[in-house]
Amino acid sequence: MQLGFIEEDGFQMEYVLTFGPSELACQLLVGLSRSMLLFIVTAGLSLVLGVLRVPNIAHGSLYMIGAFTAFTVSTVVGGAGGFWLSLIVAPLAVALVGLVAERILFCHLYEREHLMLLLFTFALMLILGDLVKIIWGAEYRSVTTASLLQGSFMIFGLPFPRYNLFLLIMGPLVAVALWLFVSKTKIGRISRAAAVDREMVGVLGINVSWVFATAFVIGCLLAGLGGALIAPTVSITLGMDHTIIIEAFLIVTIGGLGNMWGALIGSLIFGITHSFGVMFWPQFAIVFPYVAVVIVLLLRPRGMLKSVW
Amino acid sequence: MERKTVLRLFAIATIFVAIGFIVCSSCKKAPKIERPIKVGIIDCYSGPPAVYANDALNGFKLALNEINKEGVLGTKIEFTKRDTKFKVDIGLSMAKELVMREKVDLLVGTVNSGVSLAVSDYVKGEKVPFIVWIAKSDRITGAKGHRYVFCTGENTAMIGKAAAVGLVKKPYVKYWIAGDDYEYGHALADGIWNNLKKTKPDVKLIGQSWWKIGEPELTPYITAILAAKPDAVIFCTGGASMTNILKTVKTTGMSEKVPIFIPTATDHAVLKPLGPEGPEGVMGTSDYLFYYPDTPANKTFVKAFKDAYGEPPGFPAFHAYITAHFIAEAFRKAGSLNIEKFIDAMEGLTIDSPVGKVEMRACDHQAVLPEYVGVTKKVPKYNFVIATDIITIPGPETMPTCKEIMKEREK
Repeated sequence: MQLGFIEEDGFQMEYVLTFGPSELACQLLVGLSRSMLLFIVTAGLSLVLGVLRVPNIAHGSLYMIGAFTAFTVSTVVGGAGGFWLSLIVAPLAVALVGLVAERILFCHLYEREHLMLLLFTFALMLILGDLVKIIWGAEYRSVTTASLLQGSFMIFGLPFPRYNLFLLIMGPLVAVALWLFVSKTKIGRISRAAAVDREMVGVLGINVSWVFATAFVIGCLLAGLGGALIAPTVSITLGMDHTIIIEAFLIVTIGGLGNMWGALIGSLIFGITHSFGVMFWPQFAIVFPYVAVVIVLLLRPRGMLKSVW
Repeated sequence: MERKTVLRLFAIATIFVAIGFIVCSSCKKAPKIERPIKVGIIDCYSGPPAVYANDALNGFKLALNEINKEGVLGTKIEFTKRDTKFKVDIGLSMAKELVMREKVDLLVGTVNSGVSLAVSDYVKGEKVPFIVWIAKSDRITGAKGHRYVFCTGENTAMIGKAAAVGLVKKPYVKYWIAGDDYEYGHALADGIWNNLKKTKPDVKLIGQSWWKIGEPELTPYITAILAAKPDAVIFCTGGASMTNILKTVKTTGMSEKVPIFIPTATDHAVLKPLGPEGPEGVMGTSDYLFYYPDTPANKTFVKAFKDAYGEPPGFPAFHAYITAHFIAEAFRKAGSLNIEKFIDAMEGLTIDSPVGKVEMRACDHQAVLPEYVGVTKKVPKYNFVIATDIITIPGPETMPTCKEIMKEREK
């Protein structure tokens, strides 16, 4: 395929871009790996939205805490062990934060209106953001991954980072684990039922409060895991929370609010349109995922899959 | 009962009015020189840019400690700071608050070019000097410059020219430019490309990509650029994106496949967080390096800074440090706190800095600073990559001439 055109952009640019199937395939893989990371974060958000009906804006902050915790663990322990340990400790630490927040704050608020919850979680995002600044400071942080995952290998004659391959493996693993949780465990089944009809589950004599707590903690666990997984590829800074939360909400909206598989489909749409946008029209790549969102919402206003709301 | 309250209120009010009179009359009587010189700092102390703002603040404090030991015109320099949160409207209202309520003599700041330009526009009307110390848009002292705005750091025009000087000797023809989609990124790209095209007309720009600030996933951009097979790539990024791009360059092995030029990449605020994992072989520029030039003056400054704050100074600290010395020297030269005299004194003022003499150019109020073009490399002395093979390009060579500046301003 060949794209050629000349643009007058103050630059007199001659833009001739050539790419064949191997470049396209490589770009698809890069987009898929980004989708997997987005899926891990948005699956947690979607779970909380579906079961608890809480639009948790602080989900991005939990993801940021996960990244900072991963930084602390991997620098304190050091080496490859530090990285692998951070993938376990960071999600657990974030889950603990989530458990405390749920038991002290959220559990009193489930019956409130959505607008109240929105304001509350927004406030929580600001508080957690400041807490991160107090604990870790404003400097940029960076995590080194295990040497096994460093560098790149050649695929279709193009370099592909090993770490992105690792993300391509982690995504499906998390998806399978979540599927097992919601369809095979008792608490998973109850939380699915609670997502459809909360009152009925309560009437059946099930302690809904603990079902909610479990779902919330798992949601936080996923946010923390997402943070720990992205840590080695970016600079860990304040403001990570804002970047991810907007994308995450868009993804759960196009996927269908509260539907976990919707989150997967939404992430795939978002990640892949982004990476192909970068390839076909690099100057305006930023808008591609958002254009995709608009198209999806025009065609299916309630999202790709059935929304539980 | 009610009457009593009224009386009591009346008495309190009288006392307040009386105190007000006493305070006012005393401040009228006092000679001006007995009050401290008040500097208002506006900068971004929250979010990712805080790392630069805090570095600058430390440099400023260090300089003030030195200056206030001997004093300026028998008084001291004090400062008040406000957080702009990287937003133009907040920055502007903070500047107004400092000028109107805190009655500062002059303003300094900030890391954000947009905020700097907005505040510069405001101080022009208020006739309050404003010294920009980190923001790098060349419009601050170029097209949008005026009598009340100064800049003590490099700008995109200088970086562009330095980059062009560095790149013109290389054999590359097909370039790709990518960067952060905001004022700084585009200004930098324009600066580099216009200069490069002027000095070497056969260069070709085969494509550009622009991502939003803070974009976490840059791998698709890199793979797309590699697919286009340019001879060299120029990245115009700043702040957190700088770390992101350097990490992605490393993981994709890009620096081994295609030459990369990243303005300001050799600053250690960028390279240090990456530790030994920073990519080698990346060309970059900087207008201050704590390890170069290896002169006694620079060593003394670095040691004092390290003792006080535990880290070597970055370029913002250096800019803020010379800013404080410019302020002190200008007031000494002016002999009073009169603002117009202060500005006259600033024009053409030369001070001693850690890297030698620095002049404040009279025509455009831009500090004349050298640019260092270098290549990143691992050295045993530091646990992070640093710039090596440094070429120094003296200030006057990288700056647009006074004639060019005046032409820009007339437009």
